[in-house]
Amino acid sequence: MSFLSAARGVLERVLITISIVLMTILAVIVISAVIVRSAGSSFTWYDEVASVVLAWITYYGAALAALRRAHLGFPNIVGLMPTPIRLLALAISEGVVIFFFALAAWFGYQAIGLLSGDTLISLPWVKVEFVLSVIPIGAVLFILAELTTIPDRVREARFGAPPAEAIIVAEEDKS
Amino acid sequence: MSPLWLLAIFLFLIVLNTPIAIALGFAALIGYWSLFGFDALLNMAISLYQGARSFPLIAIPLFVFAGAIMNTSGISQRLVAFVSALVGFVRGGLAMVNIGTSLFFAEISGSAVADVAALGSILMPAMKKRGYPTNFTAAITSSSASLAIIIPPSIPMILYGAMTDTSIVKLFVAGVIPGLIGASLMFALAYGFAVRYNFPVEETFNLRHLWRTFKDAAWALLVPVIILGGIFGGIFTATEAAGLAVAVALFIGLFVYRELNLRMLLNAMTDGVIQTAVVMLLVAVSAFLGLYLTQTRVPQQLTVWMLSLSENPLIILAMLNVLFLAVGMFLHGAAAIVLVVPIVMPIANAIGLDPVQFGIIVTLNIAIGQQTPPVASVLMTACSIAKADVWDVSKVNVWFIGVLFIVLTLVTYVPYVTLVLVESFYG
Repeated sequence: MSFLSAARGVLERVLITISIVLMTILAVIVISAVIVRSAGSSFTWYDEVASVVLAWITYYGAALAALRRAHLGFPNIVGLMPTPIRLLALAISEGVVIFFFALAAWFGYQAIGLLSGDTLISLPWVKVEFVLSVIPIGAVLFILAELTTIPDRVREARFGAPPAEAIIVAEEDKS
Repeated sequence: MSPLWLLAIFLFLIVLNTPIAIALGFAALIGYWSLFGFDALLNMAISLYQGARSFPLIAIPLFVFAGAIMNTSGISQRLVAFVSALVGFVRGGLAMVNIGTSLFFAEISGSAVADVAALGSILMPAMKKRGYPTNFTAAITSSSASLAIIIPPSIPMILYGAMTDTSIVKLFVAGVIPGLIGASLMFALAYGFAVRYNFPVEETFNLRHLWRTFKDAAWALLVPVIILGGIFGGIFTATEAAGLAVAVALFIGLFVYRELNLRMLLNAMTDGVIQTAVVMLLVAVSAFLGLYLTQTRVPQQLTVWMLSLSENPLIILAMLNVLFLAVGMFLHGAAAIVLVVPIVMPIANAIGLDPVQFGIIVTLNIAIGQQTPPVASVLMTACSIAKADVWDVSKVNVWFIGVLFIVLTLVTYVPYVTLVLVESFYG
């Protein structure tokens, strides 16, 4: 097993674990809030904390989606181009993705410094820098997910990617 | 930098198969950088965070998660058996079962792709085995799943509601009548095909068999009752209904049908997170794009330009529909909503269009976009499961897209169709 595929395996396991924990937390928070409200009470922190969990799901999930190549794209046109153009398109596209998330990570880190000392309104013991950490960490994880899947992407650009529908059919056949 | 240049950058990156969310974010980044300088990009990080923590959107991961649980809990087979006992005696019974089951399933998952993936793999092989043409099978499965997104709960409606600050509950209520009209038309069209091509009858109507399949599917049927009853009755918000849908789906999967194991549950959670993140990244990035659009007043300029072409609301509505249909052909539904709705909302407001009605118009356009190549996410999924050619299926599907067009026209030009239930529920 190559270093990249091993790194990809570790990254995937970590992201899946985080995803499961976050989805569990979100479901438990919302279901508990419904029960508590039906008993005539309410959690003061419900809206704020559930929103933070959604933001965390967004960025940790986005990194996992990058690893699984699940982000929405439009492969139809590039798929019709000759191999050198496909490779060039891949290089530009990967460059843009990494540049975007590198800036998001840098400015996310800056924002943490700027807002250090602030806390959530409903839970004053939770620092904003902790909840906002999802931007730089999520951005770095996204970049790592891109880098570890580059060999697959290059192979597809060279030899042509199986269309998405073929993958679905293969999965249907397996099940 | 001019907004047109940014549009060109965005389209160029889309052609290169850059993820749509990143292409959108990159175009916004270039625009914002050119307006305010490099250091101002600090606002990008903050808006990426703020954009992802929209409270109404919490319903999305929970509905997706509930749908994934129900999908692996044996619900699909039970729904098919029940609807088959209900309408299988009609000529072309399996086609009717396909439409009927799609509508039931849509009331749980809120996603057309999930609908096709869950039901298509059961119904399409069965239809092909009974002699239905493959192209017809894929077309009806695909179109009925897209019709189902205007029946609550609906992820596009949740997105639209959050982006425009419109009541998601009212959007859900408004979708019911157009959904039922569309379903009736699809049943009629499928019957027309069945008579013309002599499709088979599945089973004779038997009240005892119907009761038996109903009892078996009763728990599954309870989920939409809880979701819709709770929302329409004002007992739950859409987010709370989504949370309850998860709780009920877990209960049914673990203790009633007992077909859900830990591995399936963990996979359902992972799928739920990935599907949510794909949509939510678009939403977060659109918040950053919103900063740029606000500064450059693009929506306002577009409004002035469109109103200079015509001030007739009927013509403006037609132009908006053409715009959404064109965008829907090339972008996935979620991307079309987060990209176009904030830009055209001032136009809808300027002609006095009810935001709830506009939400249903947008959702129907998204439904049609799911059926029109080259992107056509739902059609592609149906074709892949049926192992059919997209263009051959499209030749049949054009009839079913016609049904969606009729409903779109009704919703666009007869506000009563969408607003009557909303007004009777909420005054």
